Amino acid sequence: MSIRTLLIDDEQPARDVIKHYLKDFENITIIGEYSDGFSGLKAIQELKPDLVFLDVQMPRLTGLELLELLEHPPLIIFSTAYDQYALKAFEMNAIDYLLKPYSKERFVQSVQKALAMVGKDIKPNAQVENLVKSLDENPEYLQRIAVKSRHKVSVVPVDDIFFMEAEGDYVMLHTSDAKHLKEKTMKYFEIHLDPSQFIRIHRSFIVNAKFIDRIEYYDKETYAVILKNGTKLRASTSGYKLLKQVLNM
Amino acid sequence: MVHPVFIDKKSVSVYFGLWILIMGVHFSIYYFAYLFPIEISLADSLVFNSIFCGIGITLWYVARYSTPDQKNIGNVILNHLAFLTISLVVWTGASYTILSVLFQDDKNYLTFLLNSIPNRIFSGSVFYVLLALAYYFYIYYQNFQEKIKSESRLRELLKETELNMLKSQINPHFLFNSLNSISSLTITNPEKAREMVIKLSDFLRYSVSSNINQFTTFSNEIANIKRYLEIEKVRFGDKLQFSFNLDERCQNYKIPPMLLQPLFENAIKHGVYESTEQVNITMDCNSDDCCMEIKIRNDFDPNAHARKGTGLGLNNIRERLRLLYHAKQLLKTSVEGNKFFVYLTLPNIDKPEKKSIQ
Repeated sequence: MSIRTLLIDDEQPARDVIKHYLKDFENITIIGEYSDGFSGLKAIQELKPDLVFLDVQMPRLTGLELLELLEHPPLIIFSTAYDQYALKAFEMNAIDYLLKPYSKERFVQSVQKALAMVGKDIKPNAQVENLVKSLDENPEYLQRIAVKSRHKVSVVPVDDIFFMEAEGDYVMLHTSDAKHLKEKTMKYFEIHLDPSQFIRIHRSFIVNAKFIDRIEYYDKETYAVILKNGTKLRASTSGYKLLKQVLNM
Repeated sequence: MVHPVFIDKKSVSVYFGLWILIMGVHFSIYYFAYLFPIEISLADSLVFNSIFCGIGITLWYVARYSTPDQKNIGNVILNHLAFLTISLVVWTGASYTILSVLFQDDKNYLTFLLNSIPNRIFSGSVFYVLLALAYYFYIYYQNFQEKIKSESRLRELLKETELNMLKSQINPHFLFNSLNSISSLTITNPEKAREMVIKLSDFLRYSVSSNINQFTTFSNEIANIKRYLEIEKVRFGDKLQFSFNLDERCQNYKIPPMLLQPLFENAIKHGVYESTEQVNITMDCNSDDCCMEIKIRNDFDPNAHARKGTGLGLNNIRERLRLLYHAKQLLKTSVEGNKFFVYLTLPNIDKPEKKSIQ
């Protein structure tokens, strides 16, 4: 059985190392090399590889954003010089996280891990729990969100988002001129967006404080948050309390 | 500086509280020792002291705007003698007039009032000196505090700049990615790997050994920038293109070390890292006797929605320039289409005037 493998990294020398190390594995076939996130994503969707070596920092779409957009991700091994994304990578069920530069032994170890998993439907069991704790202490907030519609992937800067609305298992991102559906929970955004800018004012709404025009009393303990484009959102009692706290009212 | 009496409610009540106390003492002496009737004792104490209380408040402005230093001590004394004279005349004159009208029938008190004027002038002068000293003490204390504050702020800034310089000198991701490229080149092209190790070593040596408080020559700094760009070029290949157009006179110009490096790092970060197209980085430099004008330009992908930088890099350079040259606006940036420009003006520290003196 041949394991079809893709390399996605924006640096030629970095791809060269992987190619060289993979020469020892006869059953691994490299079916393509890509140097940015968009073309990498397209290649994964079209070629459906078994294994992908993925860099994080790349033009247009980072490796993490790319992985987020895949419905049936292949086995992923991250290879990057940035250690701060390791937790997120494991959260997304990456098999391994190689820190550049890495030794051949370390590389072989993670390929063997991958080989053991090919064809089996088991989720990699990473040390996520400890890592989650360290994330809570040191959060790095999202600055942009990658979304896809039927034909197209786009990257939405969080600063352009007016508000977010719960839509079942999805969250709708409302910008000034578009709506994007993202497969994430409200809780996820509550944690991963800067709380001084994005406020959960209701079970169903997270609002961008930058676009709040005014807040009006509605009736019985409910308030309406009116955005600069005229949208009216309901705020719950606890949401209003949070709003007051964040906006220093 | 705010009038020390009117800083807050507390200072107001301390000042007026003191005067009420003085009035009480004054009244007691007149009533119990001199055995004046109660209304005379009260009126005398009230009139004299409340007028002086008012004069005391205006004395602040004299103290504030005539603060002594080595040169003007004579002037300050003259100012105070003049104000003291006016104050005493107004004070005794007004008090005497009011009280002599109020108690015009009491011959005994009127005689006392007239005879007491020299004593009052003496005690008024003592009060005046005490109050002036208190005001001056306050002014010096405030200035001292201010000086301490601004000095510590300056020290803090210097430390911060130094720390940030250290950080920007050795960007860990640049380092690790370069090492990864070297690891790769040892397989594909060992000769080139060796070259890159040497370039990286030279780059690190320059970064670590340059003292940020001492100036270096422009040509030294440029040699280091070239090393940096060549290392990045190994990583990114043809995607990164750079060219320099430097006036010969720029070469020996004195500039702060590691000043330009963060600018090129920015150009790489926002240009090369985020783009799939070729990115050109160019630098132009012209100089005359007064200044050196540097222009750095890089392409970038305006649709990249790049992670916003914190703007810290540019702000650090601005702050450093401000501390070194005591001038603002030496660094300007602009965006035109898909090109980002940095304009830097560096004053000549080997001014020609100095040479003409020799």
